Amino acid sequence: MEKLKSEAFTTNNGLQQGRAISLEHEILLHPQYFGPQLLEKVKTKLYTEVEGTCTGKYGFVIAVTTIDSIGAGLILPGQGFVVYPVKYKAIVFRPFKGEVLDAVVRQVNKVGMFAEIGPLSCFISHHSIPAEMEFCPNVNPQCYKTKDEDVVIHAEGEIRLKIVGTRVDATGIFAIGTLMDDYLGLISN
Amino acid sequence: MEAKTIYISQPQTKPIKILKWKIREGQTVPVGRVLLLYDFVDSKNPEQRKLKSLHAGTVQKIVAKQGGTINPGQTLVELEACSHPTVMNDMCAECGADLRKEETSPTTAFVPMVHAIPSLKVSEELAQKIGKADNDRLLSDKKLVLLVDLDQTLIHTTNDNIPPNIKDVYHFQLYGPNSPWYHTRLRPGTHRFLNNIHSHYELHICTFGARNYAHMIAAFLDPEQQIFNNRILSRDECFDPTSKKANLQALFPCGDNMVCIIDDREDVWSHAANLIHVRPYHFFQHTGDINAPPGLDKHEHDVEGGSAGIDLLAGVEANKSVAEQAVSDELEAGEVEQAEYDRAELEKEKAEHTKEKAVLGTDKAESGTEKDELGTVKADLEELEPTKSIESRTDEKVGQDEKSEEKEKNLDKAMVDNNVASDAKSETHSSNGNPDVENKTASLSENIEPGNQNVESEEDRAELSKKEIDENIVATITDIDMKTSTCNGDSAIVLDSESHNTEEEDAKISEDKSEDTQLINGERTNIKNSQQKNNSCIKSINTVDDEAGVDSKCKDSTKSSQDNNSDNLIEIDDPDDYLLYLEDILKRIHHAFYEEYDKLEAGDIPDLKVVIPKVRSHVLKGCQLVFSGLVPNRMKLEDSKVYQVATSLGAEVTQDITDKTTHLVAVRPGTVKVNAGRRQKNLKIVTPDWLWCCAERWDHVDERIFPLNSRGSKNRHPPPHCSSPEHRKYPTHDKPAARKRTPSGRFMDTINPLMSFSSADIADMDKEVEDILVNESGSSSSSEDETNKILGALSEDDKTAAIAEILNSSSSNEDDEPGGTEEDLALDYPRGFKRKRSCSKKELDEYDDDGVYDEDNPYDASQNSSDDDSPSERFRRGEMDIDDDIDMEQEDTQDSDSLTPPDPDEVDDKEWNRMGAELEREFLSNE
Repeated sequence: MEKLKSEAFTTNNGLQQGRAISLEHEILLHPQYFGPQLLEKVKTKLYTEVEGTCTGKYGFVIAVTTIDSIGAGLILPGQGFVVYPVKYKAIVFRPFKGEVLDAVVRQVNKVGMFAEIGPLSCFISHHSIPAEMEFCPNVNPQCYKTKDEDVVIHAEGEIRLKIVGTRVDATGIFAIGTLMDDYLGLISN
Repeated sequence: MEAKTIYISQPQTKPIKILKWKIREGQTVPVGRVLLLYDFVDSKNPEQRKLKSLHAGTVQKIVAKQGGTINPGQTLVELEACSHPTVMNDMCAECGADLRKEETSPTTAFVPMVHAIPSLKVSEELAQKIGKADNDRLLSDKKLVLLVDLDQTLIHTTNDNIPPNIKDVYHFQLYGPNSPWYHTRLRPGTHRFLNNIHSHYELHICTFGARNYAHMIAAFLDPEQQIFNNRILSRDECFDPTSKKANLQALFPCGDNMVCIIDDREDVWSHAANLIHVRPYHFFQHTGDINAPPGLDKHEHDVEGGSAGIDLLAGVEANKSVAEQAVSDELEAGEVEQAEYDRAELEKEKAEHTKEKAVLGTDKAESGTEKDELGTVKADLEELEPTKSIESRTDEKVGQDEKSEEKEKNLDKAMVDNNVASDAKSETHSSNGNPDVENKTASLSENIEPGNQNVESEEDRAELSKKEIDENIVATITDIDMKTSTCNGDSAIVLDSESHNTEEEDAKISEDKSEDTQLINGERTNIKNSQQKNNSCIKSINTVDDEAGVDSKCKDSTKSSQDNNSDNLIEIDDPDDYLLYLEDILKRIHHAFYEEYDKLEAGDIPDLKVVIPKVRSHVLKGCQLVFSGLVPNRMKLEDSKVYQVATSLGAEVTQDITDKTTHLVAVRPGTVKVNAGRRQKNLKIVTPDWLWCCAERWDHVDERIFPLNSRGSKNRHPPPHCSSPEHRKYPTHDKPAARKRTPSGRFMDTINPLMSFSSADIADMDKEVEDILVNESGSSSSSEDETNKILGALSEDDKTAAIAEILNSSSSNEDDEPGGTEEDLALDYPRGFKRKRSCSKKELDEYDDDGVYDEDNPYDASQNSSDDDSPSERFRRGEMDIDDDIDMEQEDTQDSDSLTPPDPDEVDDKEWNRMGAELEREFLSNE
């Protein structure tokens, strides 16, 4: 996963989705941490609570870059827990319709193929794969390939795709992609 | 759904000339697809430009002509809007439209075609298309589809505590570091089975395990993802929690004509005709199918264990002698099973012998090849670490053997045998097991003698046979083992099993006493291999080596505690060889299918639901059977299960012996039919086990292995995996007998008001009453409750240990003794549970007993029906037939007798109940 993240970002560095934006988060801290390491604990808790999550508005929170401020803690009456409002900057990844991305193929089947762009899963229907590419179930690994075997797309291969639709859920984002455009398809080195 | 039509018009501001259309009518066009090539009419530098579609859909009509000039705004093509044939997560995978927002266009896609991704759905139409393509591909590849069940078919998984060092057991966790451990054992020969069958079938996994479980197991079975290739259907994708049948339509939209199923249970497939019911694989004690569908789980049967009852917990014991004792105990415990297995082995061997005989017609040529093979073995030996002194000694021996004359060899062998025998006898704790074993084998060989093919004499006659030589090698290795063995205890195990097996002249005598025998093990396996492949003399070492792993799993018949090895692996005796037969069955089916397919006209595909029963009906074709003691008098012959098993195998069954009768299947000697049959010359008199064996292997098994002797047979009922799908009309699950008891016969009386409660509800109610009673009686709680509490207080480990202890002691008793198994069975429920049951039973007595019976522990019933059977046989028969012979009346009285212990506390349950009820009323009124 780590590798994929970096892949997605090195290849798309110039593109817009790897943006650092300002976000806020509230950290609820147990009294047992009140001590010299308190702020450290707040920070580590922020990292674990925020990184890897996904919101509909900003997309995936990939990594926290800077912590701008840790506000004054508010003790919750009757509990002893403290709430710290934290402002931080994070790299987020939010896929948009029409965006062109590089992806790693995860699975190939007769209906289409699944690819991953870092944390984002994407499905490409058979009909959205150029017609000259056929599904070959008998070879191992299964693949889509042209007749002359010039282009072979199989699992673990890298492709460039265009997103045609996204579905944003509470837990993640799912995308529909297509290979039907210029310069899309297998990335050959 | 009314299709929306989209008119695509010329988007440019200047008139254009269409150079070439890139689409045709009826074609699906996704977003971004090039529709046509064009150029501007008045362009100075000619250039091909592409016009791409901004919409997805199907081309309805191409309006503009190729080569024509089109003005801006003029319609080019009519497009039918995307019908969303492929939908993923409620999004059209073609056009990316969010189908949750578009109320106007309900989707037609509802067929989840990909096993592991239920959210990906395609339309019926597309599914048909893809399914057709699949079928065509299968036909052109001459393949069929095989749905493979996992639990108890190919593997056996437990979540009990298992020693970590058992050979060929995989350990894994599924839900993070603190989740329970699972331990999976592959059925012997699984890898070979999959690899062999892979070329004939496209394999799909179809399991009731959770998705990550299924994928984990698939990774063990097929690490390269070549065999299953993500075709894994798990519980998460099943439409119906109790049936796998429902998914078939989705996976195979063009019908299941080419689908064959292997599973250890028929009910989840609604007894489909294309199902091959396999013998359940049982390796770990105390565990049934951990992924059985809810409410349908088969109960665990520990003593049975397709595998000679291995008590794994015994393996944990650090104390060697204890472990050894356990081994010898197990040998006894699994004897019934073993005997059956031995018979199977004998049969196999005979087949080998007959083949050998044929081959031995050309003695000299044979000996030449033998030498070659010996050479191979020798080379093999040399290949392995040549520095070992034992190694070189083996070499010498091999060399000697090669040169020495036949008699000398026999002498040598006899000596070894003698050694073995005497040594074995001198061992104190093996002497318990030995007489039994010897008796058994002695009787076995007796049995065979009338069959005119004494194995011993056959062996003697087979001069210079490969087998002989191989055996000598084995013997010499044994010799070495004996010499090198430093630990008497160890060799006790060795010899025990040795004497158990040698007398049967079996190759699988792998007396794994391992000082340094990892290597020798390998050699032996090779030897065994070459024996198995008796006819093809020279196998390349490579192939032999390849198969060695699988074979050693398959054939090793001794438990060896390889204490001196660094890896410290425990190898466990597992005689299950069912996959060999299954592979054969599947290949026959494949052959029959394509034979039929070739006969049919092009385009017609035979149906496996017809082909499979047909193949099955060839098994006993031409046999005319007569049963004796198998069908109860009051039952019609045609209604009996045994009749249906026999006819499904293609045999004809008659009521009485005629001139044409070929087989008499009798449970015990001395019946009228048996006596009459003895007078007929060509009539073969066999036990029902013969029939069950045939049904299990789909093969005409040699009758001589199952002769009717004075003891008769106890397997009156077919094991559940031998029942045939065609005969589901036979009421195996219904309990109509209970209904008869309503005196009035009115329908109302048949309805038990308590039936409307779930079993949990009833249990709760019982508990409530019980709690009150316990509180009431206070200090006078029975000793049983005491035990219960103690058991409850024990930690999990201790409990399993305790259970193991009890099981051990019970399994060391004779199997037939019902008292021994009573304890086993009681362990399925917490102690005191039965008492509760009997309480509730009395309460319910005034009603009809239907509900009670349904709720009742099936063991009780099965026990009543078959007190004389061993538990293993009861399991084989399965709980589904328990009601075959039971008279409900009698059963009930027995039940209450046997269930209610003569405990003074419980004599007047009714009084207690009344007091409890009063108390409850009081309690409620207080509130």
